[in-house]
Amino acid sequence: MSVTATGDGSAAPAAELVGVTKRFGPVLANDGIDLAVARGEIHAVVGENGAGKSTLMSVLYGLHRPDAGHVLRDGKRIRLRSPADAIAHGLGMVHQRFRLFPELTVAENVVLGAEPVHRGAVDRAAARRAVEELGERYGLRADPAAQVGTLPVGVRQRVEILRALYRGAEVLILDEPTSVLTPGEATRLFEVLRTVTGTGASVLLVTHKLSEVLTAGDRVTVLRQGRVTGRFDTAGTTAAELVQAMIGRALGSTGPARPTTGPREEAYALEVRDLSVSDRDGVARLSGVSFGVRPGEIVGIAGVAGSGQRELIDAVTGLNVPGQHDSGQVLLGDAPVRRGRDPEVAYVPEDRHGRGTASEMSLAENLLMGDQRRPGGHAGRIGLSRAAVRARARDLVERFSISAASVDVPIGALSGGNAQKAVLARELSRRTPVIVVEEPTQGVDVGAQERIHTLLAEARDRGQAVLVQSSELSELRALSDRILVMFEGRVVAEYSGDEATESLLGQAMTGAPVKTTAGDTTGDTTGDTTGNTTVATSGDPA
Amino acid sequence: MTAPAPGTTVAPGGQPPGGGPEPGGRVLGWARRIVLSTPVLAIGGALVLTTLVMLAVGVDPSLAYPALLRGALADGNLEYTIAAFVPTLGMALAFAIPLRAGEFNLGGDGQMAIGGVTAAAIALHLPMVAGVAVVLPLAAAALAGGLVAGLSAPLRTRLGIPAIVTTLLISTPAVAFASYLVRFPLGEQGTGIAQTPPLPDATHLPALAGSSYVTIGLPLIVLLTVAWLYADSRTVLGYEIRATGQNRDFARYGGVAVNRLAAVTLAGGGAFAGLVGALIVLGPPYRYVDGALTAPGYTFTAVAAVLLATARPIAVPFAVALLTVLQVGGQGMEREAGVPSQLTQIVQGLIIVIVAVFATVRHLRARRGAGA
Repeated sequence: MSVTATGDGSAAPAAELVGVTKRFGPVLANDGIDLAVARGEIHAVVGENGAGKSTLMSVLYGLHRPDAGHVLRDGKRIRLRSPADAIAHGLGMVHQRFRLFPELTVAENVVLGAEPVHRGAVDRAAARRAVEELGERYGLRADPAAQVGTLPVGVRQRVEILRALYRGAEVLILDEPTSVLTPGEATRLFEVLRTVTGTGASVLLVTHKLSEVLTAGDRVTVLRQGRVTGRFDTAGTTAAELVQAMIGRALGSTGPARPTTGPREEAYALEVRDLSVSDRDGVARLSGVSFGVRPGEIVGIAGVAGSGQRELIDAVTGLNVPGQHDSGQVLLGDAPVRRGRDPEVAYVPEDRHGRGTASEMSLAENLLMGDQRRPGGHAGRIGLSRAAVRARARDLVERFSISAASVDVPIGALSGGNAQKAVLARELSRRTPVIVVEEPTQGVDVGAQERIHTLLAEARDRGQAVLVQSSELSELRALSDRILVMFEGRVVAEYSGDEATESLLGQAMTGAPVKTTAGDTTGDTTGDTTGNTTVATSGDPA
Repeated sequence: MTAPAPGTTVAPGGQPPGGGPEPGGRVLGWARRIVLSTPVLAIGGALVLTTLVMLAVGVDPSLAYPALLRGALADGNLEYTIAAFVPTLGMALAFAIPLRAGEFNLGGDGQMAIGGVTAAAIALHLPMVAGVAVVLPLAAAALAGGLVAGLSAPLRTRLGIPAIVTTLLISTPAVAFASYLVRFPLGEQGTGIAQTPPLPDATHLPALAGSSYVTIGLPLIVLLTVAWLYADSRTVLGYEIRATGQNRDFARYGGVAVNRLAAVTLAGGGAFAGLVGALIVLGPPYRYVDGALTAPGYTFTAVAAVLLATARPIAVPFAVALLTVLQVGGQGMEREAGVPSQLTQIVQGLIIVIVAVFATVRHLRARRGAGA
């Protein structure tokens, strides 16, 4: 493999997709796509949701068979009938959701399916050695004896990569690899990928984060509606050019500007006082969380997934008010939040399919949820006027420019962006004093993102108190007047929207001691030592 | 003509470029959708397989099928079919009502037996005032059936044991308990047959004009079915039940008391099963005969019918009618053509299997589509 010069245009590409077309029913997911990955390069594939990225990668990994087109490996045509074929041809994939056995050790997971055998039994020592060797070679350190379930997400991802490399992958496909990582872990991942490509292997990076593409990638292929709409060398390319290729137009330059006036009143519309919550097993999920959101203010919540955001939001929306073993208060104005679902709080949940919608019910019926018992209009005491429900739905569809064939189609038939707009329409149209939004633009294309940010900014400007939780730091920074950072169930830092840089936030998200700059939060949890030891053992201060 | 690009959606009220399909194509499209729908394919497939079985065992289908239809619909037999339709439709509601909220009630037999024995006990032992003499046992039976089914609700909501398990487990002892009551405390002394004495005349369900088997149970159950259909689609409660069945988290998030609804629908279903028990006991032969409630297999036929209706409540009565015809006709077929009536049970079983396979395939396809 050392014969070919890496990245040399004259050599055959490590992997090449030629004229790949794939149709799902009426949907043309891939339409004659050509894509070549050179040896030793990091090749990024970007596009909006539904642009065909995942389908294309599935074709390359043998999960889908293309209706037309074929795959070349080192210039030779190969047939991929299953992932096993793909692995045999040196293709490896790291899925967005890891496919590891949490009960098994790192070494066991890595060799699974291709175990070294010694006298008819799995040779554990050889497995450990193999993992250590690979780790050494690629800078992918992970303790071979550690149980995978106990490892932090970043390390688990490393195990996935090790597994692919162990199986002899020379082309690594990574699907949205940084979506579960902290900024520090992401930086570390890209260093690893550089080491991997340094040995002559290639990386296909599927992502929607343009900043990653530009810093970590060598070349970029942009997909839009199943076609290639742009090929760029990252050197000399700007994010704006990529966005234009992704959405077919330039983004509005203004965006939702932060208000210069600040919140209108000093009294909190939503206040959390010293809230501590434990889960069923008695493990503390929130410890002494206090903060408030004023009318006319957007407060952002940052944090690595699982730092207590979900529990905090369940408490704030009333879905899970503090139980008998918990302590603290959630106040809406002066009154404690009502159990079940407080009508004073609008809530846009993170998980559209899990909580936000019932995908087989119609758009109109989805838009009704939460208001079905509100007196007047569509509902009497018992009966429900279908005409009124549909009329209301049509009004929301119009006002929030939701694209749908009619209000009677199942909401599951809508695109991700439109389904999200429907959820926002339902919640924002209630004009509640408090709005809680999780991941406002997850799985939503760039065009709709802009619109959603504007809607939230408008709600804020109307004097509603908005609490936003997002894993996209850039989103939080664009939207929030203040940003709280959570770590291990505590609020460990607070910044005003202007001073919160990604590096400050990223540092606080890992529990590293930080200086809290804004005054509202109690600062005594910042130097929490338990937090620091956990991070140290988990292995990667960026 | 340019087709809209993949992935684009048509704006509200807008037409796709190129105009709509011509009327002929639309009729063809409808025909295609009906022919390819799950119920049609399930029934068709089941009939084809049954015909093959008939041929394999040497029965002439051209004799068997007409015999089946005569057995169900010919003059004297239609009455039996209607008499069987009433309890089957009631049991279909007992299964369908909780199913709309996502709960499976497979304990219909036990709820029906307890309902029937309650009706018999009240009819035998409480002094009866004319006029309410029929109403009281019916109401008590519905209440008893509802309580039996309601037992599963806290097990489901507090302990997380699926209703499909607890209803089934509670059913067997409930049937046995009813059987015990009929043999001993309520039994007819000196006959050695496990049955109650005949119920007082005042508690007999009035028969419909010109019939000896069809009672006012028929209009009653039809009325209740209509009420259910209305409640399902046109009331807040129906909406909340459907939302809970479609996505429990979604309903909970929307402020629906999902646990309470689960209990309400289970008890409601059980009430229908209890009512069916009373309708049987208060109808001919006007006594509780042990085994007479569960032996005809109303519960199973009803479950098959509801599954065949594939989440369309309006289709439930029609599916019940179809399967009742098969059931009753099967006995006629046995008499006339010498075909064992078990064959119709095979048809029923095949229908359920085919419906289940379709549902699974559709689910998998939807998931794969979403993953693409």
